[in-house]
Amino acid sequence: MPGEMAHHPQQRQFNPYSENGGTILAIAGRDFAVIAGDTRQTEGYSIQTRYAPKVFTLTDKAVLAVNGFAADGNMFVKKVKQRLEWYRHAHAKDMPLRAIARLIQTMLYAQRFFPYYVYNILGGIEDDGTGAVYSFDPVGSYEREACRAAGAASSLVQPFLDNQIYFKNQKAAPGSAHPTHLPLSTVIALVTDSFTSATERHIEVGDGLEMYIVLASGSSGQGLEGVKGLRELSTKGEAERVFVIRRDLKKD
Amino acid sequence: MANASFYQSAGFDFSNDVRNQFLQDKGLPLPKATSTGTTIVGCLFKDGIVLGADTRATEGDIVADKNCEKIHYITDNIRCCGAGTAADTEFTTALISSNMELHALSTGRKPRVVTAMTMLKQMLFRYQGHIGAALVLGGVDSTGAHLFTIHPHGSTDKLPYVTMGSGSLAAMAVFESEWRPNMEKNDALRLVTAAISAGIFNDLGSGSNVDACVITATHTEMLRNFVKPNERAVKERNYKFRRGTTAWKMENIRSLVVDETVTLIAPPVGGDAMDTT
Amino acid sequence: MFLTRSEYDRGVNTFSPEGRLFQVEYAIEAIKLGSTTVGVRTPHGVVLGVEKRVQSPLLESSSIEKIMEIDTHLGCAMSGLTADARTMIDHARVTAQNHTFTYDEPIKVESATQAVCDLALRFGESVHDEDAMMSRPFGVALLIAGIDEVGPQLFHTDPSGTFTRYDAKAIGSGSEAAQSELQDKWHKQMTLVEAQILTLRILKQVMEEKLDQHNVQLAQVTKEKGFEILDEKSLKEVIEQM
Repeated sequence: MPGEMAHHPQQRQFNPYSENGGTILAIAGRDFAVIAGDTRQTEGYSIQTRYAPKVFTLTDKAVLAVNGFAADGNMFVKKVKQRLEWYRHAHAKDMPLRAIARLIQTMLYAQRFFPYYVYNILGGIEDDGTGAVYSFDPVGSYEREACRAAGAASSLVQPFLDNQIYFKNQKAAPGSAHPTHLPLSTVIALVTDSFTSATERHIEVGDGLEMYIVLASGSSGQGLEGVKGLRELSTKGEAERVFVIRRDLKKD
Repeated sequence: MANASFYQSAGFDFSNDVRNQFLQDKGLPLPKATSTGTTIVGCLFKDGIVLGADTRATEGDIVADKNCEKIHYITDNIRCCGAGTAADTEFTTALISSNMELHALSTGRKPRVVTAMTMLKQMLFRYQGHIGAALVLGGVDSTGAHLFTIHPHGSTDKLPYVTMGSGSLAAMAVFESEWRPNMEKNDALRLVTAAISAGIFNDLGSGSNVDACVITATHTEMLRNFVKPNERAVKERNYKFRRGTTAWKMENIRSLVVDETVTLIAPPVGGDAMDTT
Repeated sequence: MFLTRSEYDRGVNTFSPEGRLFQVEYAIEAIKLGSTTVGVRTPHGVVLGVEKRVQSPLLESSSIEKIMEIDTHLGCAMSGLTADARTMIDHARVTAQNHTFTYDEPIKVESATQAVCDLALRFGESVHDEDAMMSRPFGVALLIAGIDEVGPQLFHTDPSGTFTRYDAKAIGSGSEAAQSELQDKWHKQMTLVEAQILTLRILKQVMEEKLDQHNVQLAQVTKEKGFEILDEKSLKEVIEQM
């Protein structure tokens, strides 16, 4: 019959998620932790901004890096910070690192069936004064580790860290053993090289690097002297000290 | 019949198509082809054509080649920038280059840009878009300077300034605001560099260096790596491994020198021995 | 006396013109009828002691439960309407478990106490047209003992939802005499055993019956073993040392 159209069932869908590129990583030392991320935010083949921080200080001794869907990431950090504030009011102290780690798990798992599309890496100083890194999947499975990379270039960076931090596939020289903890200067260099390399080979990584360094109370901070772009965030006199190193990455 | 299985017809071989379709239906993804995410441009100026290209090749979101060549040779006076599937652009331009040479030989004339354009579009149209080549073709011939874009399905445009590839919008933005008719060579070259740079810095599919090519009636100048705005950062550490770093399970050294003893047999008397006297 | 208070002691949420909540004050009175309960803090831990009034020879004294565990590092002794304490301790237990679940650390003693006191004030509260969950104030006071990163602590809560930290505290019918005795005898560097003995001596003074391992109960919270109720054998040992 002319003018009459066949009615087929139609489905429309709204996709609430997107993926905004970038990479984060964290490494724990004996008495420090380094947490870093690039600052590029992308969608498809476009750069949304060359400076969108993915690493945030939570307390004097905890730093959180968030990567994946930027809108979820920002909201998640906001909510974690709110919970930390509530905790401070309820319990008259800053939340310890392992408590923050567990809190993040419960917050992520609470969204088990509509998850925050983000990979979290938490770094900082534990109550016993050791450097720590906790990594999370989007629904809250977590683990304490010595190092972790996440995000767009994680498949490039993680094997590099496995080799350089855990000394995977490297036989120690006869009569010696691999060190269990690396000095701060080495860690900073490895983080920098991870990001300059990821920038070379991954299109979503670049523009800027933000590297947060948390020193345990009493740590000398040896290895920080003469580092370009270094700034202290903690006001002197606090037990733990937080520094940030900002540097440029390639912009192509 | 004996040699039937060795027969190969000219052109593409589709014999694996049925198998691959079957595997794809089973859920096996096709291997990803290297694509030149790419910004390519061309523009007319007073004395001819300037072509430009970035040098990044990607496989998905990974950079496969940081300094590839996207301005392909067609003839001495014609060049073609390629975007899309790297293999398709390389193969298609090489094929047309061959055919143009044969054409020049058989006609005894200097080849024309329209000829290359026609050969390219006819080939691409024949393959209904399955050859993923998006091209910017430019050159100077007896009829003047010509600049074309050719799309993967075979459609063409003839324009004074063109851009293609994932960075085409970024590059076109530059052209639209700054291109003027009858520009000097250096101004045109600067404009093309600016257009490619816009792609390099604002399009993730494009990056690394600027290649350019200036074609005039008398001369073609290929400016490989004309600008290098993205030099590799110096590494903080040395990643040389100590000798003995790699573990091994067993060591086995074999001698490749074979010892053999040669027993001389006395030559027969008379016989076939060569007369060496 | 009651004549002057009439009209204003009916509703739990009605202030008298002098600014008093009579129902809460009556609830505090109810505690003074309860058995004596003592808590003593030392640098090594906190000791809790209660008198169990065995009103009949047929009563199974072990069924009187006046000291309860809230968490491994938290204990609580009560005086007053002990049935009301169930609700409060249930709440404290849930709060403590919730805290450990969410933060992977034991809850602080003060935070647990605060949680109990938040509940104590929720009488008469209702969500729009639903009935109020609790119709009257709790008629019980608690001594909450525990150890956290701050050290051993002892808190006292009452039906008004107020809580206070003490070095040593007595509640219940014999509390006045007991409290003055604590003030006399308590000192900063007490050992745990000294605290146990002091607790029992004070209970002995205020009890009508002769004190033995059946009519008192002792509990303690230490860094090493957390909360524990002393079994009859160890209780007997302390009584013998007394």
